[in-house]
Amino acid sequence: MQTPSVLLLCHHGTEGAALAEQLAYDVARPGQTTIVHCLVVPELWAGMQGDDWLNNASTRDDFAQYVEKLLENDAKRELAVVEANCAERGLGYKAVVRFGDPAECVVAIAVGEKADLVVIGPPRAKAVLGLRSRMNLEHLVRDLVCPLLIASRR
Amino acid sequence: MIYSKKSPALFIIGLFLLAWGFLNSSGSIDGMQVWLQKSAWSDHLKVKEKFDAELRVATEMATAENKPAPVMKMPASGFDKMKAGQAQLSYIIGGIFTVLGLLVLVLTPKEGNLDYYLGVAPGMAFIVAIAFAVRWGLDPVFANWGKAVQEAGILSWDFAHIFNLNYVVLGIVLGIVIVNVFKIPNWAANGVRTARFFLKTGVILLGVLYSAAELAQLGGLSVLMIGVFVLGSVGLVLFMGRRMNTGNSMTGILAAGVGVCGVSAAVAAAPVVQARAVEIAYTIGTILVWGVGCMFIFPTIGHLLGMGPVQFGAWAGTGILNSAQVAGAALAFDPQGIETLKVAEIFNITRVLFLPIIVVWLAAWYVKHEVGAEKVDLKQVLIAKFPLFVIGFLLMFILSSLGLFAPAGHYQGKYFGSEQIKEEQLLKGKETRALEAEITKMRNPAETQALKDLIANRKLTSREQDNTLKGVAKISGLDSLAKSSIEKASKVAWHTSKIISAFRDWIAWLFAIGLTGLGMQITVKALKQAGGKPLIIGGIVGTLKAVGSLIVVLLFVREFV
Repeated sequence: MQTPSVLLLCHHGTEGAALAEQLAYDVARPGQTTIVHCLVVPELWAGMQGDDWLNNASTRDDFAQYVEKLLENDAKRELAVVEANCAERGLGYKAVVRFGDPAECVVAIAVGEKADLVVIGPPRAKAVLGLRSRMNLEHLVRDLVCPLLIASRR
Repeated sequence: MIYSKKSPALFIIGLFLLAWGFLNSSGSIDGMQVWLQKSAWSDHLKVKEKFDAELRVATEMATAENKPAPVMKMPASGFDKMKAGQAQLSYIIGGIFTVLGLLVLVLTPKEGNLDYYLGVAPGMAFIVAIAFAVRWGLDPVFANWGKAVQEAGILSWDFAHIFNLNYVVLGIVLGIVIVNVFKIPNWAANGVRTARFFLKTGVILLGVLYSAAELAQLGGLSVLMIGVFVLGSVGLVLFMGRRMNTGNSMTGILAAGVGVCGVSAAVAAAPVVQARAVEIAYTIGTILVWGVGCMFIFPTIGHLLGMGPVQFGAWAGTGILNSAQVAGAALAFDPQGIETLKVAEIFNITRVLFLPIIVVWLAAWYVKHEVGAEKVDLKQVLIAKFPLFVIGFLLMFILSSLGLFAPAGHYQGKYFGSEQIKEEQLLKGKETRALEAEITKMRNPAETQALKDLIANRKLTSREQDNTLKGVAKISGLDSLAKSSIEKASKVAWHTSKIISAFRDWIAWLFAIGLTGLGMQITVKALKQAGGKPLIIGGIVGTLKAVGSLIVVLLFVREFV
């Protein structure tokens, strides 16, 4: 297998993402590979004020800012961890954060960053709790312009 | 930031509404309206038949007296009024949208208020146009289908009636379909959020419709019921959350959402209890799933149990978790009048008045139980969470009580005991005779007495009598003249001034538009987040609240105020 020059790692802090991260380190070569850390904030958050209509505008603004801050802090924490791991392994690192549909964002970033390989984690097991925002694998496989590697759960 | 987007959409919506107004006023679409508005057309035929008979008699009398044939004008029928109403509304709203649409196309956007308002206008027009299409088109279409399917023997029941497929439910469902299947157009995205403005304006105007006695009685009832069920469900969620180890912040936000007023309470409480992102998603997903489900189930149960406006409004206002669906269920249950909405909204207002208190309670609870929790300024929370639109509601109530919109005598229920009913409004001899012939069909002494009193007085004298006779009017096989006489007496007693009627129409429209827009805020992606322990706790507490409030309402709430 050729050593990827630009490896797009989809990582957003889940168990599956940790497996993808480990696989990416196995594939990457120090000094040759740059890990592009793709973190997608799923668009489900756009509907997270639901149909609230009773609150004053100031309360809704407070809530929106609070949620934005939470998501921002979560993202910063994930980015910092992966960046430190890459530095430790002598790998290049670049972070790209997007808001939207995960599969659409990954396809667009892969094109934009000229990725040689995309690494994602396995789909979450059904019994495991977490946000329901699954990657649309069919969309990804159909539209990606580079190879896709999916980490195994075992 | 520039809000307005160069798009011809607003202009096109405006032109379309103007065209609809013209087609109605010119009679070009009478054929379609006859098919859509069957009951209005039936009224038109009756009025025409009566008019033709009067004209024939008058002509014969004039001929006998060697006088020229009289010139008589046919009075406006329900069908004529419906068409005129649609034309007038289409001209006014269509005219405004057309002018604003031209401004959007012509002006070069610059940051400022004008740009902001032009930026939201297309989205407002989008939800208004959908609400018009649903109320004038889909609603009668479904009503006709429901009857047609039943008459054809395919179903033994009217599915449109049983499932409450009226303009309110259809508007919300269409909103949900649009946002999840077709996506909201880019040019409408800003304005769709103004659905809240329509709903709050509707609540503020609702203040006009209450008499002081109604507000006092409904307010007392709602404080009692909401007090018991809100505090009870908040306490139960806090207890269950601790027992099930859901975490303090998760328990706190869930208690607010499930206990008080759904998503609005969750939004208000989340920063105070420092809820995590995933906890917010779980809670809001759970509440939305419950709210949307209840909006469909509650009205059907209400009809099956034969509940009236006060009972159903009190039940929906207490038992449905989410405040938006309270309004939706109330209008779904009673789409023609807004009596149920009046009751339900008092409960909604009471819930939202409880909200600042509950948020403060949860803040104190969270600080006590969570190690290292940030303390919050309770006084500031109390002030910031106070719902300002309730002040508008109270202001409108005070102004109407002072007689600003209509004389005090024009408010509902005034004419039960007064002597102000004119002679021509009392029941006629043939009507009382028709009622006398039906006395044997009464099912209990209360109905017999109520009917005898109506025959003796030729009018209704109390709300209890009105409610009893409403049940009588539904007895199958009752003579049609007797039935229409009861309805006439009820209508006379519940006389309402024209301006109050206009307020009722506007309020119904504001809620229809607002709920259609709110439907567009309910995404399947958010609904799918429901799950885990929050769904279990929410399910248990939500069910207890719905069933408990139903039992209390059926046992203790009388069907009048």
